[in-house]
This record gives sequence, structure tokens and C-alpha cells, in this order.
Amino acid sequence: MTEWFDLNDAEDRALAEFMSRVANLHVPDRGSPIATASDLYCKAALIARWEAERRALRPIDVMQPIEIAGGLFAAGLLLYWSLPHLFL
Amino acid sequence: MSRLDEAAFAALHARTAGALRAYVYRVVGNAADADDIVQEAFLRMLRGDVPVDSEEHLRRYLYRVASNLVVDRWRRRRHEQAEHLMPEQFSAPPHYENDASVAKIFAELKPRDRALLWLAYVEGESHEEIAASLGVGRRGVRVMLFRARRRLRDLLQARGIPVNS
Repeated sequence: MTEWFDLNDAEDRALAEFMSRVANLHVPDRGSPIATASDLYCKAALIARWEAERRALRPIDVMQPIEIAGGLFAAGLLLYWSLPHLFL
Repeated sequence: MSRLDEAAFAALHARTAGALRAYVYRVVGNAADADDIVQEAFLRMLRGDVPVDSEEHLRRYLYRVASNLVVDRWRRRRHEQAEHLMPEQFSAPPHYENDASVAKIFAELKPRDRALLWLAYVEGESHEEIAASLGVGRRGVRVMLFRARRRLRDLLQARGIPVNS
């Protein structure tokens, strides 16, 4: 239990009484259905699977633009080397 | 995924969701936000691969995540709106004869103060437990709690509610 070091007993009782009223206040419903434990478990599983997919695909995502850039560079180089021979 | 299986998670959810929702609702003052935060806290627990040492450990983890989400939301809203979040309800009388005025007085505290007071009085947590739930230092909790209690006492006194008798 929390140790108090500043308030006198009467103040402490008043705060405790107030907080017990706060604790017993009605908590309204949202009005729309709340996710059940099963919903949450499924959602977490789906997110975990989606993240695993993202992780697995990340090397491909990273390499793809490098491959394209490399291909374009090689094509440009080839064109540059072959230019003198093209107009002979 | 967490090492909690679905049945264990369902049991934990059944035991903790209601209390966690009441705590978050009282701190944020909005049922829809409270539901979102509670759901996000459970999802993070499942996705975070939290070690299942004990139910108490998991419960504290949930409170810590929820408290952080509350503070994040409060900071975001503070830029958009006025100083702090007010509940969806009421124009209350100055004393606390009814539930609406109790809620109104509590809502006048800052979210961090509400969280501290709730954890201390309603959950009955020690300073160490509150520190773990809110992710702050134990010494910091003592000071913050002292200030929160003083602010609540001042608020009650300002409403003409005797706290010294």
C-alpha cells in the first residue's frame, strides 16, 4: 500500500472517500461493440503475420531499385561503348 | 507473438479489461478513446512478446502501456484543444452531491495526476508499483503523488468540501 507523508488523517480520509466515489462512478459504454479477447488475439496474430511478411519482403524491396539502377547503368554503359561502332 | 496462448489471454483479458478500462476512462474522460487505448494496450502486449512471469507482471505492463498511450493522446490533443481533456458530460454544481460533480472535479486534475491518484487509491498500488505502471522513477512518484494529492485537496477545498474536519 502507498505510504503517505504529507497529509493529516482527516485530509487523507477525505481524499480516500472522494477517490472511492470516483472508483464507483459509472463507466459508460461506447455504444458500438468492443473487441473481445478472441478478436484481439486474432488481430494480433494477423498483425504478427503481416509484420513477418514485411520483414521477409524487405530485402526484395531494398534490392529492387538497386537492381533497376544497376540495369539502367549497364545499359547506358553498353550504349556508350557501342556508339562508335554503330555509326561506322 | 506472446507466449500466452489464446485461453490464457482470454482469462487475463476477462480479469483485467474492466478495471483497465475504468482507469483509462477516468483519466482520458472519453469512452471511445478509452476503448481504443485498452485495445491497443492488449495488442501491444500480445505483439511485444512480453515474458509471462506472472499475471501481476502482465497487468502492470498493460497499465504502463495504457498510461503511455493516455499521455501521448493527451499531448496530441493539447495542441488541438484547450489545456486538458474534459469528460464528455455535464455542467456540474460546485459541490459533490452527485456522480456528475464528482467526475467533474476529478476531470479538473491533469491526466497524470488522475492516473497517479487512481493507481494509488483505487488500485492500492505502492510507490514502486506505480513507478512500474507509469514508467517513472520511484522518487519521482513520491513527489508527483504528493503534488497530485495536494492539488486534489485544494480542488475539494475550493468547492467548499471540508477536508480537515
